[in-house]
Amino acid sequence: MEFQKILIANRGEIAVRIIRACREMGIGTVAVYSEADRDSLHVRLADEAYCIGPTASKDSYLNLTNIMSVATLTECDAIHPGYGFLAENANFAEICDSCNIAFIGPSPDAISRMGDKSVAKQTMKEADVPIIPGSDGLIEDVDDAVAIARDIGYPVIIKATAGGGGKGIRIAEDEDSLVQQITMAQQEAEKNFGNAGVYLEKYLIGMKHVEIQIIADKHGNAVHLFERDCSIQRRRQKLIEEAPCPVLSPELRERMGQAAVRAALAVDYSGAGTLEFLLGPDGNFYFMEMNTRIQVEHPVTEMITGIDLIKEMISVAEGKPLSFRQEDVQINGWSIECRINAEDPERNFMPSPGQIGFYLPPGGPGVRVDSGAYPGYMISPHYDSMIAKLIVWGATREEAFATMKRALSEFAIEGIRTTIPFHLKLLNHPKVIQGNFDIKFLEEHDLN
Amino acid sequence: MFKLSEIKELIKLVDQTSVQELELENEGARLLIRKPGKTEVVNIQSAPITHTYTQPAIAPTAPQTGAAPAEQLSSSAAVPVSTPADNLHKIVSPMVGTFYRASSPDNPAYVQVGDRVGEKTVVCILEAMKLMNELEAEVRGEIVEVLVENGQLVEYGQPLFLVKPE
Repeated sequence: MEFQKILIANRGEIAVRIIRACREMGIGTVAVYSEADRDSLHVRLADEAYCIGPTASKDSYLNLTNIMSVATLTECDAIHPGYGFLAENANFAEICDSCNIAFIGPSPDAISRMGDKSVAKQTMKEADVPIIPGSDGLIEDVDDAVAIARDIGYPVIIKATAGGGGKGIRIAEDEDSLVQQITMAQQEAEKNFGNAGVYLEKYLIGMKHVEIQIIADKHGNAVHLFERDCSIQRRRQKLIEEAPCPVLSPELRERMGQAAVRAALAVDYSGAGTLEFLLGPDGNFYFMEMNTRIQVEHPVTEMITGIDLIKEMISVAEGKPLSFRQEDVQINGWSIECRINAEDPERNFMPSPGQIGFYLPPGGPGVRVDSGAYPGYMISPHYDSMIAKLIVWGATREEAFATMKRALSEFAIEGIRTTIPFHLKLLNHPKVIQGNFDIKFLEEHDLN
Repeated sequence: MFKLSEIKELIKLVDQTSVQELELENEGARLLIRKPGKTEVVNIQSAPITHTYTQPAIAPTAPQTGAAPAEQLSSSAAVPVSTPADNLHKIVSPMVGTFYRASSPDNPAYVQVGDRVGEKTVVCILEAMKLMNELEAEVRGEIVEVLVENGQLVEYGQPLFLVKPE
């Protein structure tokens, strides 16, 4: 079957990204927006657009009822949830199914199995994917936690099973610290995620965050599209991503890729997904979590493989087999992405919402900008602070670095503070240039 | 001194054209009308944006099923075009759904133009996903205008009725 019309249940740059893919495929687009997003680019670009609620996300972009109403009343064939919001909401996926509207993503079952972090770990263990040493499921009580921690060794990390995106995480250095934090962690989890379940893991040092992109169809085919190194993070939020990973050997790449494919097949996955791993300096890798959606940093994978992931997601949701096999995909060149946020790096990344005045994104060979911004656009304080994703491609890592620095220095955004100067500093840091930075890099190094 | 009617006329004129700023001086009185947002450098980047905006085929805020595109455009462009009398109260939709004037096709409309309504008066049905929601007026007054058609898809915040409040 071919989709005639897709509703994009998201906003900002990813909504623009999805609309672009639909346009190229000849599919009609329906945008939804909150009152605050009335003048957004995704609203202007779509064929139809409907206001679905007031500013607050819970009343608009998370408003299942209003979104489904628009989808059914405008006769959409499918909904693309983007990332965040309802993208990993198994309930929403089920409601789409019962309204006969295709959810462009995996099945509700795959979403639940991977969404519950401790269930996901168990599933991976059974699929022979290496996992981080830790508790076998959720912690019952403090004594349970202490016993497990004695077994795996300190320091340990306490994680909320319903958490994600770097939230709901605490470190315990020793037994006293663990005893103190376990109850607090459970209460926090209940408050923030509606689920008090927490589990323990060994806290590993010197790790890189290396994730594998996979894509699977509904005919049992799953292919990995290599890795992305996302170790440069501030408070667990990614700032810069690159593909491929500068320290991965071809042999390790193959092993990680195959592990990711096994994981996808273990949950009958379909659509695009990402397996996040921690990679140690000793070459051991451990499963962290699976994101059952398209990721923010998907463009770097697109740049090195030449595959349009959004179009492929749509095609898979239509029931078609993948348009390529594992042997057809190859790494070509190097790609880096910088997330440009409306934050002031000189004031501890204080959010800097406001109206964009002069706005000139960079251009030239090897430069791609994914953004919802335009001159006069109001970056509102109500949603995430991302203005644009600046992505570059180079034949080698050195060339990609040179192009990124050139592009960053051309990128003119006036009226608000941005993280562009910070990215330039990052790209000039010897450890970043060398490539062996780990996830604690920004915590341990002052860039000023 | 500028008369109120003159000022209203000037505002309307500026609004309907691409004029960004208008300054007038007359017998010691100075009037400045300036549009917010767009700055000097508009000519470089905004061309692609205005292109999409003015293309007749693309009406970003007009639903396919709507029979009155003019109302939709004005309600979602946040420019108050309907100002015969600014003290009229708008009953707006609190949800996305299909607007029905009566509880069923066989029944008479809940309200007509000229009807008096109280806060609890049901003025219409908004249907979503097979659930019928009765919308109350939440104002005391007289229905002056019905802004949407029976069976039309309405979005969040869309004006449905104009009421002259008591």
